[in-house]
Order: sequence, then C-alpha cells, then structure tokens
Amino acid sequence: MDKPLSFCSGRAWSWTSNSSGSLWRFGLGTPLQCRPGWREQQQRTFIQMRTNLKVVDNSGAKWVMCVQALKGRRGVRLGDTIIASIKEAQPRGKVKKGEVVYGVVVHAAMHRGCCDGSEIKFDDNAVVLVNKQGEPIGTRVFGPVSHELRKKKHVKILTLAEHIA
Amino acid sequence: MRLEKCWFCSSTIYPGHGIQFVRNDAKIFRFCRSKCHKNFKMKRNPRKLKWTKAYRRLHGKDMTQDSTFELERKRNRPERYDRNVTESTLKAIKKIDKIRVAREARHHAMRMKGKKAIEQQAAAKELEQSIHLVKAPAALQEDPSLTLPKMKIKVSQSQMEDRMEE
Repeated sequence: MDKPLSFCSGRAWSWTSNSSGSLWRFGLGTPLQCRPGWREQQQRTFIQMRTNLKVVDNSGAKWVMCVQALKGRRGVRLGDTIIASIKEAQPRGKVKKGEVVYGVVVHAAMHRGCCDGSEIKFDDNAVVLVNKQGEPIGTRVFGPVSHELRKKKHVKILTLAEHIA
Repeated sequence: MRLEKCWFCSSTIYPGHGIQFVRNDAKIFRFCRSKCHKNFKMKRNPRKLKWTKAYRRLHGKDMTQDSTFELERKRNRPERYDRNVTESTLKAIKKIDKIRVAREARHHAMRMKGKKAIEQQAAAKELEQSIHLVKAPAALQEDPSLTLPKMKIKVSQSQMEDRMEE
C-alpha cells in the first residue's frame, strides 16, 4: 500500500529549527509516510477491530479481540475503552470464552503523548476488563499501568495496579 | 518536573523530549532522542558504542567517582519547600558545576599527559628512517644540513617539520 506524498498536506508539521537553521524534523508528529525510513521500521498503530489484546487482570480471560473501538475514527489508544470478545479464558474465571465485555487499554504498543510533551509506549497491547460503569471486573492488575488512566478517571484500576509508569 | 537521564547515552532528558518505553516487567527505559531509541531497538550494547557515556566511563575516558556526582544522585523523598534551602541549592548547583568541569578538565589533561613527548619521538624516528622518501640519499650526503645533526640540541616541533619539507 503505497500512499503518495501528496496526501500529507493538511496535517500539522513540526518545523523545528536547530542550530543549522530551520530544517525538517521528522518527529512522531509528522505523518507516517513522510518520514524517511518508515518502510523499514515496524509500524505501531491504533487498536481497532480484530486487534488481539492481552488481559492483565485476574478476571479469568487471557486474550480478547477488540470488536468495537468506542472512541476514535481510526482506532483506540492508551487509556481508551473498547468492546471486546473473549477469545481465550481460564476455566474457572469470572468471565467465559465468547463473552462480549468492555475493556480499558492499559498498554499500547503505539506511542502516546503525555501532557508534558514526551511520549510513552509499551511492549504489547493489553487491556483490563471493566463493566459498563468502568469498574474493573477483576480484583488484581498485573504489570505496569500508564499514568494516562488518571486523566480518563479510571482511578480504581490505578489503585489495583502494582506499578504506575 | 524531573530531569531524567537517557538510558542509552546518559544525557539529560528535558521535559518534552524523548520517548519512554515501558517493558512488561515494569522497567522503564528513557531515551533522549530517536538515535538512542533506535540503537536500543537494534539491541546494541551502550557499553560498546564509543559515543555513549557508559563506554567512556568504562574505558576510563571520563571521571567515574567524584564527590561532585553526589548532588545529582536521585532522591525519592520530596523536600518541603523552604525558600532559603532553594536559594542555597541554586547557588550550590552553579558552584558544583564549576568544580566538576574543572575536575573533568584535569582528568582529561592527566590522560593526555606525555602525548607530546611520544609524538616528538615518533617524528624524530620518522625523519631518521624515512628521509629517503623525501630526498635522495646522494643529495643528503652532499648537503648535510638536510639531516638531523647527531648532537642533542633542543629542537622545536616547527623546526623539525621545516627540515622535512625541504
């Protein structure tokens, strides 16, 4: 899939000047296809329909597949909620295989900008199962969890988390 | 606000710069720029790359242990705000920086000591052995001023180079 460079016309560029005068800075803000070397690097994109996510709580599920991204046209990022279908579950858990549940994304391989301007990214895509009100179904959350959840008001998950990054 | 250190090259990361990578074992890697990030993804060892601080410290190019590094040690306990403490800290930062820079310069000078003598010896040897590349041996015998006199005189570097270029 080869998009011509003409497609990147309206997006926000980052004109940053360095010591040698103003130059292109192909930072994470520039569109993908306009960055040199984009073909060789692994593309990390949004979490969308059919994305498999790991489950990092003890609700019983192991892997879910995203069925609907609740917010976002292109997909969902760190901290957003999704509707997912459970693909693999532990035998005696709170949820069963085939159930449709809500989940909050706690790890995303795609970088997400923090409010202070830096970017954060994780090793994989992971989710914590919640109910419709946003309360976690499980009682423990494993692994590190992102700061961004506080902004999204997922405080319960933060309290259960063992490490906040 | 906290100034972090890049995991790869050990330079300071100011707010708004860099990428944080959180591994599943909750270890956080901070990178100051994409150069460090890409090298990390390539699984390169910073101790083997000459431009990183890790290499320089490991190979003795930069100071490793010094009391001036104590100030930059990470403290996890938040200090209660006190205006006088802030003022004295700011002054201390400036002074300690100056001292650290002076000590680093001294370390570098110590490291480079003796280089001039070695260079001069090498140059004298080269003149003696390879003068035939510049002038024919017959010409050397006719004009003895083209070779170094066999007595010990204080020759400056520029004089020796002049002789070689004749």
